[in-house]
Amino acid sequence: MALPQRKTDIGPPHYKQFLPPIIQKNYGKWKYHEVLSHGVMVHVGDSGDKLWTVRVASPRLLSTTTIREHCDVAEKFCGGFFRYTTRNNVEFLVSDEKQLEPLKKDLTARGFKMGGIGAAITNVVHTQGWVHCHSACTDASGLVKSMMDELMDYFESKTLPNKLRLAVACCVNMCGAVHCSDIAVVAVHTKVPTIAHENFKNMCELPTVIGSCPTRAISPDPANKSIKINADKCMYCGNCFTVCPPISIKDPERDGVAILVGGKINSLRSNPKFSKLVIPFISNEPPRWPKAVAAIKHIVEVYAANARKHERVGEWIERIGWERFFSLTGIDFTFQCIDDFTFMRDTMRTSSTFKW
Amino acid sequence: MEMAELQDKIFAFCEAAKGKKKLKEKDILIGVSTELSLEKDEVKKALREMINVGRLMYSYGGGASSVEIPSEEYLREKGMIK
Amino acid sequence: MKKYDTPLIDELEKGPWPSFVTEMKKAAKNNEMANDAVGHLEKCYRTKVGYWKHGGIVGVLGYGGGVIGRYSELGDEFPGVAHFHTVRLNQPSGFFYTSAALKEICDIWDKYGSGLTNVHGSTGDLVLLGTKTDALETIFAEYSSRGWDLGSSGSALRTPSCCVGPGRCEWTNYDTLDLNYALTQEFQDEIHRPMFSYKFKIKMSGCACDCVASIARADMSIIGTWKGHIEVNQDEVKNYAKNGMDINAEIVNMCPTQCISYDGKDLKINNAECSRCMHCISKMTKALKATGERGATICIGSKAPIVVGSLLSWVIVPFIKVEPPYTELKDLIRKIWEWWDDNAKPRERIGEVIEMKGMRSFLEGIGQAPIPQQIKEPRKDPFMFYTEEDMAAFKAKEAEEKKTGKYKF
Ligand code: HEM
Ligand code: HEM
Ligand code: HEM
Ligand code: HEM
Ligand code: SF4
Ligand code: SF4
Ligand code: SF4
Ligand code: SF4
Repeated sequence: MALPQRKTDIGPPHYKQFLPPIIQKNYGKWKYHEVLSHGVMVHVGDSGDKLWTVRVASPRLLSTTTIREHCDVAEKFCGGFFRYTTRNNVEFLVSDEKQLEPLKKDLTARGFKMGGIGAAITNVVHTQGWVHCHSACTDASGLVKSMMDELMDYFESKTLPNKLRLAVACCVNMCGAVHCSDIAVVAVHTKVPTIAHENFKNMCELPTVIGSCPTRAISPDPANKSIKINADKCMYCGNCFTVCPPISIKDPERDGVAILVGGKINSLRSNPKFSKLVIPFISNEPPRWPKAVAAIKHIVEVYAANARKHERVGEWIERIGWERFFSLTGIDFTFQCIDDFTFMRDTMRTSSTFKW
Repeated sequence: MEMAELQDKIFAFCEAAKGKKKLKEKDILIGVSTELSLEKDEVKKALREMINVGRLMYSYGGGASSVEIPSEEYLREKGMIK
Repeated sequence: MKKYDTPLIDELEKGPWPSFVTEMKKAAKNNEMANDAVGHLEKCYRTKVGYWKHGGIVGVLGYGGGVIGRYSELGDEFPGVAHFHTVRLNQPSGFFYTSAALKEICDIWDKYGSGLTNVHGSTGDLVLLGTKTDALETIFAEYSSRGWDLGSSGSALRTPSCCVGPGRCEWTNYDTLDLNYALTQEFQDEIHRPMFSYKFKIKMSGCACDCVASIARADMSIIGTWKGHIEVNQDEVKNYAKNGMDINAEIVNMCPTQCISYDGKDLKINNAECSRCMHCISKMTKALKATGERGATICIGSKAPIVVGSLLSWVIVPFIKVEPPYTELKDLIRKIWEWWDDNAKPRERIGEVIEMKGMRSFLEGIGQAPIPQQIKEPRKDPFMFYTEEDMAAFKAKEAEEKKTGKYKF
């Protein structure tokens, strides 16, 4: 069969054709919304029209089979209209209230999980991991699955002081941009890379490799027509490996995950914040990462028990102080928690006022 | 300058850098336009044509893109040579 | 088809959260590539390392991005993933779809790929995971002839993305869906043909809630804001109080600028002192509404930690109108690229270049004046540059003061 004629530079289809009639009608004229449960919210237009949204969990990695199932549900209850969210949930858009309960029943019967709206834990932003990336020190999807199985109540029903955003990055490239989450898991290497000197000359550009190193640990090694790495300076970031394949940094027993807390993206009440390191290393324990999952659940529970209403994790910690965070959670404070990379000046304490 | 002649010059420029330096599109535009005292846009147009027909190609490595002379393998895959 | 024994990843089919392993197995039912991907992943779980090689050079003719080359080191053991390239499809604004459109996308993908996807990738694209080199031109012809173009990768403008905005949110200060579409169309060349020093990301949020996390993960963050007052509906305030909201604790005391007062009846906002953080509005959406002039704040520079530490975007243009045809914004974007292009070394994101060359160089390069809304606080030490023009301006001001007899600091 002949191929259809390719077209270039057309960009995506215009979004308007995918908006349900109720959105076309009330576009930009929404008045307010109400969160009815973690799974359902309703938006009300100036016109009085109502649009119900039912949010459903997704593993992000979807088979076409499941996407077609989403399509079938949307056809049955939503005139075929639905959307996905920036955090990879599915949202069914209902304009006829009579369809709402049947939709929820149908979703439950199919085993879909509704939740994530409001002061809850929603889907976890994450990256490719062993499923699809050369750089991965862990499997992001497996970690996400393991932690969300444990935190399911906070997705479906239990309420927290505020939203709690989780993220997993499978290496410090942090494709998912996890650096501003309430709790983030970042996979780390902990060993100086090794170099296959014989391949260096053919596969790598010397200045690029030297320039790739944030700690200036790399210098030329003329004898080998290659480079050498100063072990006292290397922080195992893997950037040299990214630009030069003969460099190798993966190590099954020394790769693991670090946990950072207290970041946020929005500007509500306080400015956006980076997440900060609290647990420097937990070994990779596939398929279920029990220790990492337990640590995350513990932090969530201490936050839930201690934060005031509307406080995000980072705001709560800033109010009580980091020394109190470590004492409340019982997390060991280690040298890794003290910045010795780019932010030391701003992160050391410069007053004699603190708590015990 | 004739388009064909300009394209030969661009090709020669890329050939000279082969194995020495990964050329960004910008390096070629600046290099060739300075060498021949031409407008950058003119060089860009010629370069784009060459990429469209597979005489040059965009390459990628270590997170950054460059322009290169295609390998035989690439040309075969695109049906440019048998 | 080979049947793999997968005891480790089978563990991840248990439990309430939807399972990606189940998804992989669904696709594997009638797809060799997906089937080998399942076996391949089990091996990673057993050995605790990955086996993907650095991305190779693959793509469609004429474009420099949109396809990520991916090959396995274990191609002999798992031939279905020997090539397992990613195709990025440019998503529609706001991730809205109809079932008909998505089914068509699925049909093509089942025919030429693994049947596995990410909906969506972190940048926004609809990510199709896993196909072979020789299928790429066909896939591109099938999708583009039906109106779907590739997204971006490499040193290019990455696929722009936006929040749901006017589609379904009462807080948006500009039409995020339309701006996203307009910029994506305007910059097709920059998206498909990598001409920059490194990647450049644009993300659009309609308000300070920043639902696309633009402040943390876009070289250019366009965040909606307003200049007018917050309108208060006192009846609705009473309803919130009646329904149990402790307005003093939850709203008044949590306002970062302490510009709200509440006497048990009426809620008052000193609008001149409000910093537009969205806290009160988001908690009392029925009672409070931003009014007046709408637009956006432009912030520049956020990126992940590679190479020298992560950055959040910095405020560059505190307020800009965002109305079609968006000429001012498009011109600004072009000026920003031009300065970046002139000053960047390979693989330098714009935030890093601004740190190297100095904010002054950047602001002058794009024609923006310094104003206090750009900073958290002024510099702390007295090491600074004075140009001849600066000194001439200071002296001219003093001469003027001598004439008028009045100081102007
Ligand atoms: C306190 C701060 C926030 C408030 C009050 C807030 C409020 C909302 C509301 C009302 C919606 C529904 C909009 C709609 O789709 O109709 C929404 C959607 C969403 N929010 Fe937020 N949000 C906040 C912070 C965040 C943050 C920090 C993130 C991500 C890092 C985020 C990610 C999302 C996502 C992914 C959606 C789904 C809609 C979309 O895909 O655009 N939100 N948020
Ligand atoms: C605790 C750590 C972190 C958390 C929880 C976090 C969270 C997030 C989230 C939720 C997103 C949105 C992803 C999406 O919409 O799919 C994101 C994106 C992003 N993050 Fe992070 N992030 C973290 C650390 C970092 C760090 C350290 C960097 C960089 C140094 C970084 C850079 C980015 C970038 C560049 C994006 C945008 C990705 C894109 O363009 O798609 N993140 N992050
Ligand atoms: C120097 C830093 C980085 C390098 C070398 C890098 C490299 C990669 C590689 C190799 C992949 C392919 C994974 C696959 O095969 O599917 C990938 C995917 C991706 N990267 Fe990055 N990345 C970097 C930083 C970032 C950052 C900071 C972001 C976002 C803020 C980002 C966003 C993405 C997205 C959206 C994908 C598509 C897959 C996904 O959504 O998980 N990357 N990156
Ligand atoms: C180029 C920079 C600076 C120079 C040349 C300088 C010079 C001086 C000199 C000559 C004195 C007087 C010593 C005396 O009493 O005999 C002094 C005192 C002092 N300087 Fe500085 N200084 C500088 C920067 C700073 C900075 C940045 C700080 C603090 C942030 C600082 C804090 C002080 C303090 C606290 C005193 C003592 C004042 C007192 O007697 O109460 N100096 N400095
Ligand atoms: S975070 Fe690292 S390992 Fe994960 S997808 Fe991105 S580059 Fe690959
Ligand atoms: S791993 Fe990172 S710190 Fe270590 S040598 Fe390589 S680039 Fe430098
Ligand atoms: S960023 Fe603001 S305008 Fe956009 S969806 Fe989120 S809350 Fe609404
Ligand atoms: S938007 Fe923020 S600063 Fe303004 S009144 Fe409300 S809480 Fe206060």
